[in-house]
Amino acid sequence: MSNFRSAQDKAHPNKSSTLMLAIITLLILIVALQIWLLYTGLNNALTQHADVALIACIVSVLLFVAAVGLLYFLPGKRR
Amino acid sequence: MEQQQETVPDWKTDFPYSTVETLQVTRRQFAKFLCLVSGGLAAGSALVAIKSAFFPEKEVTGEHFVCNRTALPVGGTRSFTIAGSTIPYILIHLENGEFKAYEQKCTHLSCAVFYQAGTNKIMCPCHNGWFDAATGEAIQGPPPRPLPSLQVIVKGDEIYVTGHPKNS
Repeated sequence: MSNFRSAQDKAHPNKSSTLMLAIITLLILIVALQIWLLYTGLNNALTQHADVALIACIVSVLLFVAAVGLLYFLPGKRR
Repeated sequence: MEQQQETVPDWKTDFPYSTVETLQVTRRQFAKFLCLVSGGLAAGSALVAIKSAFFPEKEVTGEHFVCNRTALPVGGTRSFTIAGSTIPYILIHLENGEFKAYEQKCTHLSCAVFYQAGTNKIMCPCHNGWFDAATGEAIQGPPPRPLPSLQVIVKGDEIYVTGHPKNS
């Protein structure tokens, strides 16, 4: 039975390469957003706005979960 | 054939490795590393949130005497600390007659800040940061936050400082 992984393994290397680049781009975007969230959360925590730091933390954790989820779509090793 | 086997050390046979794999980072590895960085940033944000929610900085309580009114001319400043704390503060007698008290640490990298008499501005000489002396707001340069302030209470000739009320 064919599934997502076997189809991905059979795809042309150009397609796998494009997918890999797309995933890395998304991961860089996620990391950039998280850096901004950490900076904002820290600044607000230091001005006694704990609520903003909490929201920044929740969003950052959600972004991390999304980043881990993206790893599932990484093309397998070339054989 | 025997010669070839002699040139390959035994440890390489036991622990074979590819030079390319050890010297180059694959895109898979890079993606996983980005994920690790993402986890680190999420953990950092969580630490900040936990620290601010459960271990907030202690508020200044009670009134603390700083100096007599006559000891601080218009445009003058006085550095002080509060008993039991090492945080340096600065009391400023503004040109409009008001007294203001701020932490004497820049919110950028904690350099000591100074009041520029006549300009109504507080400057940080380290990276040319400027604050409004009337409000403590950052008006120029790298400081990301306003200067933390204290409430000033003038009782006759004596000047006291205290923390701001919680809901202000």
